[in-house]
Amino acid sequence: MQKNIFKAYWRVWSKLTAQQFQQQIANSRGAAVLFIFSKLFRLSTSFLFIWVIMDRAKLIAGYNLAQAIFILALFNLLSSMTQLFMRGIYMFRQKLVDGTFDFYLLNPLSELFYSLFSYTDPLDLILFLPYVGIVVWAWVATGYPIALMSILLIFIIMIIAEALILAWHIFILSIGVRYLEVDNTIMLYRDLEKMAAMPIEIYGKYGSAVLTYIFPFALMATIPARIVFGLYNPLLLFVFILLAIVQLKLSLRYWKRSLLKYSSASS
Amino acid sequence: MKKYLSIFTITLQEIFAYRLNMIMWRVRQIFVFLIPFFIWKAVLGQGGSIYGYSFVGIMTYLFGTTVLRSLVMGSRTIDLGWMINSGYLTIPLMRPINIFSFFFIRDLADKLFNLSFIIFEIPLILIIFHPPVFLQENLLIIGATLLSVIFAILIYFFINIIFGGVAFWSRDVWAPRFLLMVIMEFAAGAMFPLDMLPEIWQKVIYFTPFPYLLFVPLKIYLGTDLSSLLHLFAGFGWALILGYLCKILWKKGIRSYEAEGR
Repeated sequence: MQKNIFKAYWRVWSKLTAQQFQQQIANSRGAAVLFIFSKLFRLSTSFLFIWVIMDRAKLIAGYNLAQAIFILALFNLLSSMTQLFMRGIYMFRQKLVDGTFDFYLLNPLSELFYSLFSYTDPLDLILFLPYVGIVVWAWVATGYPIALMSILLIFIIMIIAEALILAWHIFILSIGVRYLEVDNTIMLYRDLEKMAAMPIEIYGKYGSAVLTYIFPFALMATIPARIVFGLYNPLLLFVFILLAIVQLKLSLRYWKRSLLKYSSASS
Repeated sequence: MKKYLSIFTITLQEIFAYRLNMIMWRVRQIFVFLIPFFIWKAVLGQGGSIYGYSFVGIMTYLFGTTVLRSLVMGSRTIDLGWMINSGYLTIPLMRPINIFSFFFIRDLADKLFNLSFIIFEIPLILIIFHPPVFLQENLLIIGATLLSVIFAILIYFFINIIFGGVAFWSRDVWAPRFLLMVIMEFAAGAMFPLDMLPEIWQKVIYFTPFPYLLFVPLKIYLGTDLSSLLHLFAGFGWALILGYLCKILWKKGIRSYEAEGR
């Protein structure tokens, strides 16, 4: 039974993603090139920013240029992974306003699944491999060996981080159901997320505590990088597993309570 | 005049319609300041200077970009692409108003909204984070800064009309706008002061309209722009060129407008 449900979700997701592909190819081939170029240009300017600072400052919060660039590359990978799968949140307000969300509620599959995962952007998929390549390049540049154990730990961290990010996305969707406000809340979340592009130590004791234990941002880049540099005890990851379970449960509860407040006024 | 005042009031009412949305937007503007603040604090907080910027200099620059972003880049004209694609543009076109004035008045309302919030946000940032900020006292420099800000507002307005106008010929307005946003973030000096870049890069960027949006007004304010008069003229020149380009493109675009969806 469980296996069948998983299969159904997989089939619907791959169908929806294929449709997105077709739509992109049919309507906006030129736009796709612009989009990819823009994303790569933005990433280059972020690297340039770090280079400009580190060219003179040499160290930032104890990290050298290669280490800071590795942190940025990791952040970029995890951030785009979230963007890749949870893009539906950017269209959610529209779905509430035009009544499409009512159809999500009538579907046999979870309305959360449709709200979050139904807009996988194929262009993000295309960029995913180059981003992995950039991480590997930055890793090599730090001089630390690419060990199997480190890769495995980073993979585990990515799963925990994505679970925590999912919890926050569900929370934002719930706010949308209640107050019809999603766009600026998710953009605010993304603005906050950008803090993870730098070593979180720069935000001070309290700032880095908030970015570690309330938001999942330390897990996106600084913690995996510290594991590679041998500066972090992997056993501490159990704390984050616990945190992810708690945050997911809380956000799901808030989602259910928000659904009870949903008035379906738009349809 | 009365009809334009009505457009101004209605735009403000539209902004205030979704209050949570509005609050989140303002909170975001504060965070735009906080991230570079912490980065530069980690680099220059202990003293010293890089690229000729002390901690006070870079904080004033950052503070300035936060204020100028709201003032220059606060805009409703970014909706133009959507208005064309949805056919909504037909409504203002049928009204007895100048279409450019209509867009500009809406932009002004957005800027007033942003400014009114900045008045509260600036003291809040100053109280919480104590960033050292340099206050310019030279009236001539302040006057030149204000003039460069006016040029910046006009340049941004015309750029928005031109990029929004792409919708007259293509349904895909999002990708060019995304590219514009990304380039502007870098070339306007919003990420970091442009004089931190190698000289050849700076020379190339000065030939585009982007540094006149944030970087030039702030350098003039700081009193460190050795070619401020030349840059003021260049800003004025860009406003004229883009305004002219905008007029031509609009004339061509409106001929191919089909009011689809209406």
